[in-house]
Amino acid sequence: MSTAMNFGSKSFTPRPPDKGAFPLDHFGECKGFKEKFMKCLRENSFENASCRLESKEYLECRMERQLMAKEPLEKLGFKDLTDEKSEAKHKKL
Amino acid sequence: MVGMSYAAVPLYRLYCQATGLGGSAVAGHDSDQIETMEPVKDRIIKVTFNADVHASLHWNFRPQQTEIYVVPGETALAFYKAKNSTDKPVIGISTYNVVPFEAGQYFNKIQCFCFEEQRLNPQEEVDMPVFFFIDPEFAEDPRMASVDLITLSYTFFEAKGGHKLPLPGYQ
Repeated sequence: MSTAMNFGSKSFTPRPPDKGAFPLDHFGECKGFKEKFMKCLRENSFENASCRLESKEYLECRMERQLMAKEPLEKLGFKDLTDEKSEAKHKKL
Repeated sequence: MVGMSYAAVPLYRLYCQATGLGGSAVAGHDSDQIETMEPVKDRIIKVTFNADVHASLHWNFRPQQTEIYVVPGETALAFYKAKNSTDKPVIGISTYNVVPFEAGQYFNKIQCFCFEEQRLNPQEEVDMPVFFFIDPEFAEDPRMASVDLITLSYTFFEAKGGHKLPLPGYQ
């Protein structure tokens, strides 16, 4: 498997990430959420669909600590999880 | 200096802070698409992860998972980890590759750690996340019908901070 940069016309062209780079979490502020996510993956045969709540929580951690631009979760693909969250809130009331 | 072979990197540095349009024949992806896209649940794709460093960069860089199973239209998170095993601060910069080549156009990175200089202090180790999704249109492309494995490879090399590489005649 080649990981070298090829500059021929038929090669893969890398694109920048849509929202730029994540700042580095130098102090490991969100490491706990990362560990929770990784544990979820290991326990669920590395199925992303089973660990979306944990991935949402990791990104929320970053947003709360200025390690990621704040965005509504729907714009990060979590609209189904936000619906459930607000439903749960309604039930508690 | 690493040399002209990595001239493409500063090219993309210009675009990292912008909305992601790279100027080549590739459509931009905006948050509206992410908000409205529906996962194609019956199309499971295995994404595997490679990590490389250029010989002159003394970092321990590796993926934190060997694979993740995703479906098109569903955002996914994955992690790499990097450690600066030297006794000096080092600035690294990375680029990535996707195989198979044709699947690369459907592989969308929402946010990651590439194309931007990343500084690690001596002996510092950090988590490096990649937040991505596979475009739902992947599932409608007949050329992709037999693709159920996509490999994402990141390569880090040392960035000489402040050194400006001449940009090729872009645009």
